[in-house]
This record gives sequence, C-alpha cells and structure tokens, in this order.
Amino acid sequence: MEAAAVSNELMEAQDAEIMHDSPEEKCVDCPGLQDKECLARSAVALSDFRPGEKGRVRQVCGNPDFRRRLMEMGFVKGTEVSVIKYAPLNDPMELALMGYHVSLRRNEAAEILMDAPDQAA
Amino acid sequence: MKKITVALAGNPNAGKTTLFNALTGARQHVGNWPGVTVEKKEGIIKHAGREIHVIDLPGTYSLTAYSVEEIIARNFVVESHPDVVVDVVDASNLERNLYLAAQLLEMGAKVVIALNMIDVARGRFINIDVKKLSELLGVPVIPTNGKKGVGIEQLLQSAIKEAESGPDRDRNRTVNYGAEVEEELGKIEKELAPAIVSLHGLSSRWLAVKLLEGDSEVVKKIETTPSIGSLFKQVDESRNHLTSIFADSPEIVLTDARYGFASGAVRRAVQVELTDRIYLSETIDKVLTHRLLGPGILILVIYLLYTFTFQGSEPLVNAFGAFFRWLGAQATAALPEGLLKSLVVSGIIDGLGGVLRFTPLVAFMFFAIAILEDTGYMARMAFMLDRVLRGFGLHGASMLALMVSGGIAGGCAVPGIMATRTLKEPKERLVTILVAPLMNCGAKLPVYALLIGAFFADKQARMMLVLTVISWMMVLVAGRIMRSTVLKGPSAPFVLELPPYRIPTLKGLLIHTWERTWMFVKKAGTILLAVSIVLWAMMTFPSLPKEEAELFEQKEQKLTTAFLSHPVVTPFFQTEENVEQFEKIREDLAAGKSAVAQIDPALVELATVLKQDSDSNAPRPERSKSIGNRPLVETYATYIKEKGAIEGEKRSAQLQNAIGGRIGIALETVFRPIGFDWRTNVALLGGFAAKEVVVATLGTAYSLGEVKPDASESLSEKLKKEPSWNPLMAFTLILFVMLYNPCIATLAVIKKESGKWRWVFFAMAYTTVLAYCVALIVHSVGTFFGLGVA
Repeated sequence: MEAAAVSNELMEAQDAEIMHDSPEEKCVDCPGLQDKECLARSAVALSDFRPGEKGRVRQVCGNPDFRRRLMEMGFVKGTEVSVIKYAPLNDPMELALMGYHVSLRRNEAAEILMDAPDQAA
Repeated sequence: MKKITVALAGNPNAGKTTLFNALTGARQHVGNWPGVTVEKKEGIIKHAGREIHVIDLPGTYSLTAYSVEEIIARNFVVESHPDVVVDVVDASNLERNLYLAAQLLEMGAKVVIALNMIDVARGRFINIDVKKLSELLGVPVIPTNGKKGVGIEQLLQSAIKEAESGPDRDRNRTVNYGAEVEEELGKIEKELAPAIVSLHGLSSRWLAVKLLEGDSEVVKKIETTPSIGSLFKQVDESRNHLTSIFADSPEIVLTDARYGFASGAVRRAVQVELTDRIYLSETIDKVLTHRLLGPGILILVIYLLYTFTFQGSEPLVNAFGAFFRWLGAQATAALPEGLLKSLVVSGIIDGLGGVLRFTPLVAFMFFAIAILEDTGYMARMAFMLDRVLRGFGLHGASMLALMVSGGIAGGCAVPGIMATRTLKEPKERLVTILVAPLMNCGAKLPVYALLIGAFFADKQARMMLVLTVISWMMVLVAGRIMRSTVLKGPSAPFVLELPPYRIPTLKGLLIHTWERTWMFVKKAGTILLAVSIVLWAMMTFPSLPKEEAELFEQKEQKLTTAFLSHPVVTPFFQTEENVEQFEKIREDLAAGKSAVAQIDPALVELATVLKQDSDSNAPRPERSKSIGNRPLVETYATYIKEKGAIEGEKRSAQLQNAIGGRIGIALETVFRPIGFDWRTNVALLGGFAAKEVVVATLGTAYSLGEVKPDASESLSEKLKKEPSWNPLMAFTLILFVMLYNPCIATLAVIKKESGKWRWVFFAMAYTTVLAYCVALIVHSVGTFFGLGVA
C-alpha cells in the first residue's frame, strides 16, 4: 500500500510538470518555425543576458539534435538559468542551472529563448 | 565461484572514476570498446564469496544515440545484460543526474543508485532524504563518497542483493509520460508483442519509447527481426498524432517529461537550506577565468606544464637513453661482427631506444594532464581559448594538445596526440590529431640547430622565433582547410560542463598516468619495432658489390702499410693488430678504467698527447711541441684521420648503393625543383624513423661516418663548404623537415587515436605535399630574387 501511495504521489508531481504546458504557450517561437503570430513579445535570447542576470527557459530552438542535447543538459522549459560570466574574449559564456555550471557559445545561447531576465542580487 | 557483472554508469564529473578506483583498487584492465577508441575499463573484485566484474561505462549525460559514448553505454546495458547497473549520481547536482537514472529505469535494468559526493552536497546544505528518494525511484539508494571510500561496502552488498533477486520484480518506477503519450506507447507495445520474443531480453516498454522517439539505432535493430507486421505504420501514426497534439516532436516531449520525473523526485526528497551562497569554487573561478588575469594564468600554467614535462623528466629520459646505449654496447661486445650485430644494434636497439627513451617524458606529461583534468582546470582552458581556435575549425581543448606537440619549440607530437583524448567532439579531435605533427617537436631541433648553426649563426634566436610562428600558421591554416574540405561540417555544440574545482586523489592520478603510459609503450613499441627493422634493411641492403668493397679495402691496406713502414712508427707498431690494441688502450684510458702500470709507458704517453691534442682547440703550431715524440704523434694522427676518411667514403658509397640510397637517387627527379640531391633525400628517408635521424644520415651521406645529433659541428663545417649548399637551401630543408611526413611513433599514435589506417595515410600524404609545396615556393621565390647565392 505504501508503494502505491508513493507511486501516486510521484505521478501527481509529474502531472503537475506536464500540466503547466497550457495551450497558449505551445506554439514555437523559434525563427523560421511555425506561425509568427504567437511570437512572445517578452522573450529574450539567452545570448543577450548580461553576467549576473537570470531568467527561466521558455523554448529551445535549433536543429533537433541540438535542441535535444541542450534539453538533456537541463535546458527545459521553466529551468532557471543565470549567466555567471563571459569568457575573456566575450565568447563562450558560463551559465549556471540546476546547481551546475556549463559553457555555451553565444551563437548557441542565441537559440535559447528566455523569459525577460530578473536582475540578480 | 558465483559471478556477477556490475556496470557502472553515470554523468561525467559525477565521481564515477574515483568510485570505480575505490571499488576495484589497482586491479583494473584497460582496453578499448570493440571498434572504437573509447577506453573500456574493467575490474574484478572478490566479495562475499562472489566474483564481481565491474565494467566502467563511458560517462554520459543521457542514453540517446547522440555520441559514441552514449551508444556504447546503452548497448552494454540492453544487450550484455549486466546483472545490475550502478548509477553514480552527483548528490550536489541531483536533478540533472537523475535524468540518466530515469533512462536506466526505463530500460528495465536492475539499478542501484550510488548517491556520490554526499559530503559535497551536505557542505552545500543540500539535505537529501535517502529513504524517500529510494521509495520514489523504486530502487536502492546508497550514499557514497568515493574519495574516502565511504559507503563502498553497503553499495557492494546492495548490488549483490539486487543482482540475485528474482528477475521480474516490477519495482522500478518508470517515467509516466501523461495520458496521450502512454496511450500511444500502449499501441506500439501491442504491435511489438509478436516480435519481442526474437528480441530476447529487451524491454518492450523501452523499445516502444525509443521507437516513438524515432531512435535510428533501435529502428535499425528491429527492422531486421521477423513478424513486425504493421509496427512501423503504428509508430508513424503515433508520432504524427503526438506531434499534432503537442506542436512539437515526440522526442522533445519525452525529454521534457523525463525532466519532470527527475525534478518531481528532487522536489520531494531534497531540501536546500541556503540558496544564493558563493562557493569556494566560484571564488577561485573569479580569478582563474578572469577577463585579464585568466589568460595570463593560463599561459603560466602551460609554461609550468611544459617545464614539468620536459625538464622534470630529463634526468629519467637521459637514464633511459643511457640504458639503451648500455644495451647497445653490451650487444656490440657480445655479438660477432656482421649483419646480425648491425641488425640488433643499429636496427632494433637504436630504433626502439630512440622512441622508448621518451617514456618518462610521456608519463610526466600524462601526470600533468591528469592533474589539469581532475581538478577541473582543463575545462576552463577550453572555455577561455575556444573563441580563438574555433575560427580555425579547432576546439578550445585543442590548445593543450598543440602546446604539448611543440607549440613552443621542443615538445613531442606523440603525447600531444594522446592528449586529444580530452576532446569529445570527433571532428575537432581528428583535425587536432592531424595538424599536431606540424609543430616543432624536440626531434626536429637538432636538424634546425645544425642548419641554423651553419648558415644563420648570427641570428639564431630570430630564426627560432620565425620557425615557431611559421609552424603555428601552418597548423591553423591546415586546420581551417581540413575543416572546410575532408572534415567538413558544423562545429559540434560547445556544451561543456565546468565542474567545481576539486582536489584530485593521488591514487586516481597515478592510475590514470600508468594506464596511458603503458598503452604508449605497448603500441609505439610494436609498430616501431617492425618499421625500425625495415628502415635498417633499407639502409643496409644490398651491400656494396665485392669489387667496390675490395677497392676500399685495398686503399686502406695501402695506407696502413705505408704507416707501419714509416721510420718513426716501426719501433712502436709492427702489425695492424698493434694499432688495434693501442686504439683499445686509448679508449680505456679515456674512460679511465685501464691499469696504466701494465702498458708500455711510451704508448701511454702517445695516448695522453693525442688526447690533449684533440681536447685542445688551439691551432696546431701553438701546441706545446716539447711533449712527447712529436713526429710519432703527428704521423699517427694523420694516419687515423685518413683511415677515417676512407671508412666514411666506404659508408657513403654503401649507403648510396643500398635501397635507401637508390630511392634517394630516384627521388632526385622529384626533389630537384626544391634543390635536394640524393644525400638530402636519403636523410629525409631516415627521418621517417625519427626526425633527429636526419642529422645522422646526412652525416653518413657526406662521408663523415656516424654523426651524433648533439655533436654536429664537423658536419655543419662540411655543409658550409659544399657548393650546392647555401642559406636558401638550408632554410628550404628546415621547412621541409618541419612539415613533412610524421615520424613512425607519431604515425603509430595517429593510427591508435583515430582508429583508422586511412587517417595515417592521409597524414603522411598531406604533410609531405604541404612540405613540398612550401619548399617549392620558398626555393623558387628565393632563387628568383637571388637570395642565398651568397
């Protein structure tokens, strides 16, 4: 019985994760993909974030392999990403998400659409 | 004894290697996964009456078919059916690590989670409810600390218990993908049912998930099985259906859901007490990757690595060299004069020794690289340098390999190419491997020293700088060209984890160093042996025709007879044997190991004076004539010199007659446009073995006998006087030696690291063509402007 309860709990948790995908947000904002109508006005490319800024991932663009690779590294919708710094030659950039640090080139970060950044402390 | 197979899976930087070392100790076997150059490590432990085989899978973030590592790890889990999979999870970075766990559970494998680096997590005030996590995932979770060996015992016990439990316990929680996806998965599983028997052991849910994701590896596998019926039709329908519902492809939807599973588990089992805290690692990084300080520190680190590798290993390299010389001397003494002796001494011992004496250097370098890797600084180097190298089709991590290969003159391409193992992107790695031999390695330096010393003595430092710049230009340009021709394609995404700085364990560093060094010895050794023998044969056979050999002998005989019948000589030397005996005495005296008392004092005196003469650099008339029997000394010295000259001529004629020499002559047609004659050509041929051999072979070809690379003054004097040599010719040859065909050891390593002979031949061809073109341009332009005709 205990196990079943845990299982239900986990399923609810997952459902909650899937549920926040409300229909209005389902359209794809990436350039060259799908209809332009729903292009979110407030979306900002991650490459435009300054060091110290952070925001949540809205959508990852680019070719399927690349998108999947980034998603596997944790760039899924809703993940909070903060920009730690730029490399000495302004490229690549160092990011922190899910408690770890990763480096991305700026042209790659440009494929990640974010909610507008909050100014970090 | 009962045998259990345990596969160790986990993310890179999750401490998997440290845990593997803690589990297996030094009892490891390192090889490659079949057909690829990814390292496969295996260790056997005896525990609780069982023989446990631990297989270290490559570290991956996921198990999609994204990279070779992922395919290897995945195929091992689904096809080789390990009894249990231990998933090493970084407790301080749980969410991303559980993504892999979700995939392992989905495969139907028996999983035990090693919650590693639990100490780091606690230090960051991350509290993990282990019992809760275990319940949520439905598998045992064991907190471990690989560095201190905490939890190893419990982990082993738990793994054994899981391995020996019944097969079909459906305890694993798998990801729930939501109603729509689950419905389609059900449909696919139903279509799979008739085929599943022949796909023995593969989980049907996993196959269904992979099919829905359009995984090409799985599609290939299933296509060949019978009775799949309308499976693929169903898969297409399901994919289209889901794409229309979610406005995104199913693989993205499933990836999202797996992260939902991971973050759901984390939210329920983990509590973080403090958030925005600055950790030591970030503070260190503020300095080490600082905009201005960072590059400076980087240069300093590379410089230190360089000093440590090349100067630190120098005494040992010399000791190894001395060992091979000693071995050569022993063989010379033990074997009778003749072909066998020549083969063993000049072919095998010199050939192997020339490369294997660098073993300590290679070991030192691997140790230094292991430190850079295990501390996490390597990732920062790539981070800082990526922008520069990307423009040339290389990768931030290529820098280290290029520096080691001779970025500052004096490296070696063998360890350099082996250092590319830290590069995960296949194309960038291959380009780095292929351009590394163009760097100015230590073996090219004796050639440069000889030619610069002879023709550019007044501007040595400037020449070295010019050569360093040229080789960098060549590397970058060649990299650029290769990336837009033979290795075309977009550069791999630079998704590089920057792990927190860690203090490496000495045990880990030593294991790392030992494995890689041993591999170098094994591989370089075997191929090298074969090629050394071939090259020796080319320089030896066919031997001089009898008549010609006799001609030289007669000349020598005549000289000896004249010498022995000289009035000042006759009292001391009557036969040739006397001369030989005296030569032996001279050697012994020079080595300081002969008892002077037993020898004719007159001979001792002669030997002493001869030694003083050869040691002194003063011109002949200045020498003190009062000492010794001057006429005898003079006559003897002249005799030895002339005899040496005849010997040299004979060797030169012999070399010219051998296959190598004939090839050199045949190549004259090709190489005349860049000004090389057969002597240069045969020297270049000798450089195949190792570049410094160019000096020795050039010496033989110019009738000087064997010339040691570090004592080439006489050769340089000789070249200056040769009419065909001038500064332009010297510069052309320097450039040619810099760029042409990599030495055997390098080729062996290219084969090993690229995995294909095709790249070895490509490397040989492109470098030689490049060398020829550059030499042709320099020679033609130089000749046109009348340079070097001085």
